[in-house]
Amino acid sequence: MEWNAETLQYLSQCFLHTLSPQPEPRRRAESSLSEAADRPNYGLAVLRLVAEPSVDEQIRQAAAVNFKNHLKTRWVPSNDPNAGSTFSPILDPEKDQIKALIVSLMLSSTSRIQSQLSEALAVIGKHDFPKSWPTLLPELISNLQKAAQSSDYASINGILGTANSIFKKFRYQYKTNDLFIDLKYCLDNFAAPLLEIFLKTASLIDSTAAAPGGGSLVTLRPLFESQRLCCRIFFSLNFQELPEFFEDHMREWMGEFRKYLTTNYPSVESSSDGLALVDELRAAVCENISLYMEKNEEEFQGYLNEFASAVWSLLTNVSQSSSRDKLAVTAMKFLTTVSTSVHHTLFAAEGVLQQICQSIVIPNVRLRDEDEELFEMNYIEFIRRDMEGSDLDTRRRIACELLKGIATNYKKQVIDIVSVQIQNLLSSFATNPSANWKDKDCAIYLVVSLATKKAGGTSVSTDLVDVQSFFLSVIVPELQSQDVNGFPMLKAGSLKFFTTFRGLIQKPVAFQLFPDLVRFLGAESNVVHSYAASCIEKLLLVKDEGGKARYTSADITPFVPALMNNLFNALKFPESEENQYIMKCILRVLAVADISSEIAGPCIVGLTSILNEVCKNPKNPIFNHYLFESVAILVRRACERDGSLITAFEARLFPSLQTILATDVTEFLPYAFQLLAQLVELNKPPISPSYMQIFVLLLSPDSWRRSSNVPALVRLLQAFLQKAPHEVNQEGRLTQVLGIFNMLVSSGSTDEQGFYVLNTVIENLEYGVISPYMGNIWNVLFMRLQNNRTVKFQKSLVIFMSLFLVKHGAQNLVDTMNAVQANIFLVILEQFWIPNLKLITGVIELKLTAVASTRLICESPVLLDAAAARVWGKMLDSIVTLLSRPEQDRVEEEPEMPDIAENVGYTATFVKLYNAGKKEDDPLTDVKDPKQFLVASLAKLSAVTPGRYPQMINENLEPANQTALLQLCTAYNCQIV
Amino acid sequence: MADDSPASHRRDPIKSSVGNVAAQRRRQKAVTVGKERRESLFRAKRLCRVGATGDGDVSVEENDMITDEEGFLLDAQTSSAVGELKSAVASQGKGAMQKRVNALRELRRLLSKSEFPPVEAALKAGAIPLLVQCLSFGSPDEQLLEAAWCLTNIAAGKPEETKALLPALPLLIAHLGEKSSLPVAEQCAWALGNVAGEGEELRNVLLSQGALPPLARMMLPNKGSTVRTAAWALSNLIKGPDPKAATELIKVDGVLDAILRHLRKADEELATEVAWVVVYLSALSNFATGVLVKSDVLQLLVERLATSNSLQLLIPVLRSLGNLVAGDSHTTSTVLVPGHEITDGVIKVLVKCLKSDHRVLKKEASWVLSNIAAGSIEHKQLIYSSEAVPLLLRLLSTAPFDIRREVAYVLGNLCVAPTAGEGKPSLIEEHLVSLVQRGCLSGFIDLVRSADIEAARLGLQFTELVLRGMPNGDGPKLVEQEDGIDAMERYQFHENEDLRNMANGLVDKYFGEDYGVDE
Repeated sequence: MEWNAETLQYLSQCFLHTLSPQPEPRRRAESSLSEAADRPNYGLAVLRLVAEPSVDEQIRQAAAVNFKNHLKTRWVPSNDPNAGSTFSPILDPEKDQIKALIVSLMLSSTSRIQSQLSEALAVIGKHDFPKSWPTLLPELISNLQKAAQSSDYASINGILGTANSIFKKFRYQYKTNDLFIDLKYCLDNFAAPLLEIFLKTASLIDSTAAAPGGGSLVTLRPLFESQRLCCRIFFSLNFQELPEFFEDHMREWMGEFRKYLTTNYPSVESSSDGLALVDELRAAVCENISLYMEKNEEEFQGYLNEFASAVWSLLTNVSQSSSRDKLAVTAMKFLTTVSTSVHHTLFAAEGVLQQICQSIVIPNVRLRDEDEELFEMNYIEFIRRDMEGSDLDTRRRIACELLKGIATNYKKQVIDIVSVQIQNLLSSFATNPSANWKDKDCAIYLVVSLATKKAGGTSVSTDLVDVQSFFLSVIVPELQSQDVNGFPMLKAGSLKFFTTFRGLIQKPVAFQLFPDLVRFLGAESNVVHSYAASCIEKLLLVKDEGGKARYTSADITPFVPALMNNLFNALKFPESEENQYIMKCILRVLAVADISSEIAGPCIVGLTSILNEVCKNPKNPIFNHYLFESVAILVRRACERDGSLITAFEARLFPSLQTILATDVTEFLPYAFQLLAQLVELNKPPISPSYMQIFVLLLSPDSWRRSSNVPALVRLLQAFLQKAPHEVNQEGRLTQVLGIFNMLVSSGSTDEQGFYVLNTVIENLEYGVISPYMGNIWNVLFMRLQNNRTVKFQKSLVIFMSLFLVKHGAQNLVDTMNAVQANIFLVILEQFWIPNLKLITGVIELKLTAVASTRLICESPVLLDAAAARVWGKMLDSIVTLLSRPEQDRVEEEPEMPDIAENVGYTATFVKLYNAGKKEDDPLTDVKDPKQFLVASLAKLSAVTPGRYPQMINENLEPANQTALLQLCTAYNCQIV
Repeated sequence: MADDSPASHRRDPIKSSVGNVAAQRRRQKAVTVGKERRESLFRAKRLCRVGATGDGDVSVEENDMITDEEGFLLDAQTSSAVGELKSAVASQGKGAMQKRVNALRELRRLLSKSEFPPVEAALKAGAIPLLVQCLSFGSPDEQLLEAAWCLTNIAAGKPEETKALLPALPLLIAHLGEKSSLPVAEQCAWALGNVAGEGEELRNVLLSQGALPPLARMMLPNKGSTVRTAAWALSNLIKGPDPKAATELIKVDGVLDAILRHLRKADEELATEVAWVVVYLSALSNFATGVLVKSDVLQLLVERLATSNSLQLLIPVLRSLGNLVAGDSHTTSTVLVPGHEITDGVIKVLVKCLKSDHRVLKKEASWVLSNIAAGSIEHKQLIYSSEAVPLLLRLLSTAPFDIRREVAYVLGNLCVAPTAGEGKPSLIEEHLVSLVQRGCLSGFIDLVRSADIEAARLGLQFTELVLRGMPNGDGPKLVEQEDGIDAMERYQFHENEDLRNMANGLVDKYFGEDYGVDE
């Protein structure tokens, strides 16, 4: 793409149209752009457009965004083998030009464009910095120094922002020499300029703040922002270890750090906006001193006391305020680090713990308006934080972490203080429950959070309180409260407590509360009915010692009608229409309860009506997954009890499934095919005509084009082949099936699926039916072997040949192959079967291939021929390797070949439905032990011509395998004579 | 066919091991960004305040702090001293030589007067070309000595100031030769040592100008400050990171013998400098390491460790021992064989260091032990049954972070058997069970929570051992009790992919809630 007036005009028009509210011109412009993006120098042209002052700002902004995204997909190393063919990468000459332009461009642009270009620069940096972009850092530094002289903070912050993003990699990569070479390079060049600008800005802030009026927010904002960026860069550069330069200049850094923690800037902090600005800097400082405290505590020691007291008094203020979350969290983390370090004695002084608990921990644990708001407005987010561990950065959680940290060295004291606090909170609640309910919530939260976490979200006991008696005296009254809608946050907290400590609550106590849990499903609060559902669901999973479920179907069956009723009703509450906790509970109940037809009826009605609803617009994949699982388990368990129910299920489900197929609900197709497979399998032949319609659909190549469908379709096809082999052989359907096999097996990404199809055909159809097709099948397989022979394919081929052999005999195998090309069987055997046999994994596959190979050398005239003695020996060698060595010694993992599957449109992924799954079938039930089969067969064979085989074994088997074979013979008491 | 659920057919690759807990020797990083710790004890550049030969005629002020005014005065005096020197160098004839010496002495006096010599003023006044001139061949020793001394202290300054010596280097090197008097050679070595201490670039210049062989030869005699200064300068010169100089040094005739002799007999001061030479030889050059381990050096290092209480000596000796263990498998496989007397000796001195109050010694001793613990089963058993284990266990729970990390490597290595190649390491159950029973798990779980990525990985690797290897499937329960689940869940969204996969994999595998599967 050449840069000239025409290009400028053309691109400007396109970008302008991409902003159009009209879909038509917008789409046209988007597609023109994505076409143009494949041409060389497109990126460069867009960048120049961004730089063109004559062009409208809005267009340049759109271009900047496009430029950044263009780089994200196409700035790949030109020699990267994994680059894939999706996008043509930007070529090196264009890259060089972009790199030459971008820094100065970024610095001269307006802030919106600057941030886009800065991100673009970070993308380049990720690949090229520093080795392939040696000019970047010097360029940034000289610009930084220039900008500093003129106090041009727009540029300064642009440069610092860029440096910050390219240095971030030092925060999470392992220490390697390469990383350290890069780090050293950055330190050698950037550490000094960084300190210089940091100190300069610091003195600017000081003088501005000291002036009458203390400086305006407008003046100070870029300065504070600049300091924050310096702190973040400090964090990256210091992360791996303490660099010499920073150690030498620790005093300068720490002095300013401390200042920001202890100084107030009234003129800025009087607005919430300004307070947030300074707090962000303080939080960044806290992260830095936490890092030093944790990793360089020896060098930091001299500053520790002043920082500890600065952070402490800061926290005492911040804890009282309801915003300022980030600062509260980072500051508490610093104290936590101190409390677990060798300097924990700072906390040992009389009264310190009491102070921390009272003025820091409790205020931060206490519910704030924001929590209440979240509880009401966004229940999903609330639950994620409150129940599912996404609270790592909430004040409540971190305050408890601080307590836990202190408890590592002062356990007894912490327990004493916290117990007293909890008692105080509870008695405050008791004096006036409706006014002081938050005190009780606080107490409950403390107990739950200080308990040790256990698998699956339960907790083991805590030393803090006696869980049993706390449960009885504090939690049970809430759960038994008749008003399910009163004080919903307390109810939620109590349900969470029950869920968390479910393993510790004795069965009779818990069981007695079961009707109450069912009742709370009717609470209006989304959190409360979700927690009730979750509690029931989790209770049903509780295991006693020995792994037996504590609550059985007999326990819950009496409640099931009411429970199901409430669960389905709960799904009618606003915003709970797709509540995954409720759906998961439905699934769990269906998995445990007795499914009588009285229960099955309403359930299938309820589930299908939800299914019809979500089909219109699938939104919540988790909910939908549990929904399909619920249908699958309901069908399976109900039909296990009463096979005749299948007709009723079919009648209910068919319309829904047909809607999915007919309207092509992409996300649900894999589920639909799996459910259909399940239904087919539950049917008794002959199969009803409505299924045969689906079968026709199944055979259309269109269905197979989406890779996400393929596993489910294979599964359905297998079901048909097993249940309706005769129908398959009519109307040329088998040809169609084999056509599908052909299509799947030709591509590396679906060849395994192709083999499933083929294997199912071979396993379920008579030899007479398939023999006319065998020539064609071999041709397809040999062709693939010629074109693209992956190890995976070769292993699948060995498995297929083995299956064919055990089903239809060695003679048929040899004959059909040799019919394609004379003597090809031996060639295939030597080149593919023998070397790949020892790579076979999986119990069933191993047995199958071992037995088939054994039969081949013991039954097949081709191999028993004297001329084949060497091949015979090699084959036996491979069998012995397969049977005698553990998997990890035989198999070297082949690196997974990246394979871009051709997806058409929406990229739904295949998710397996556990409950619609199939038991594994063993095609060789008559052979139990392949090792025994081998030695017994060999013993029998050798008895016919004594002396012949020991010699062949001697000549062809590896010494280790000879020994192994001998050991096998001894073990099974067989002899090769 | 056989396995017909499509999704389950794809077997996962044999889960690649969560990790080989160290289980290999770790050498110190070749590239460092941290401060060189040696500096806290000895500066890489040293000012020469009192003459090398002890004939300094300046009284060293007791109080090094000089006020601004004094500094100003000093600068002015220096400028004028350089001016004097200039005219002295220019003047010819009778008394000229004495004039030069006097001017040099005055300048040297000023440059030695305080901890912060007026180097800048001297350079500004143009001292270097004059000093180079004073170094010319045939000059009297006294003149050479004074000039080299001036240069020594200029070289002890800031990087740019050190660099100013470039024109003087060829002559300084030339005066190292056997023809020079000892005091002159030593003073030149000192100046060169300062130059070499500056950094890689200047080291390369010195090496290309042939500074190494004459310095090496200066190390051969038995005693005297010359040997000490030469050893110090050499240790600066071979610092690398290119290993070539170290390799070259060990190849110089007689150097190995001299090293051994000094380590055996020299006083602690000289032994310290020689030990630093051994530190860099063994840290950088595989060749030198190979030569050293086949000599008596290990034995000598162990003796020094056992008998000395000088921290300044113990640090380089211990570090050398560590390098030799980490750098060459010959050390553990052939020399430190369990059952040999020296092996018990090593363990004993390492225990001594673990008990010391100095954190550097504790840390380095743990590092050495971790490398020995990466050896054979017998090595592991030897450490396991030694006095070290209770000390290590205590350190794991009470020591500062950097020591804990080293200790964790030792304990982790004690629990895994040596493996050939990749794959999950096999466990030494007896060690694992006993160490866990003695409470080490909580220390490792603390490391999982650490911000340090290496330490976190080690913590996770050990956690994996416990989960997999404790008998009766007790592992998960123990990890749970130490709040390990919580610690691992912190990695759910961690930016380091490896750690994230490790942690998530462990939580899924051992604590996963396989819904539906449990019916």
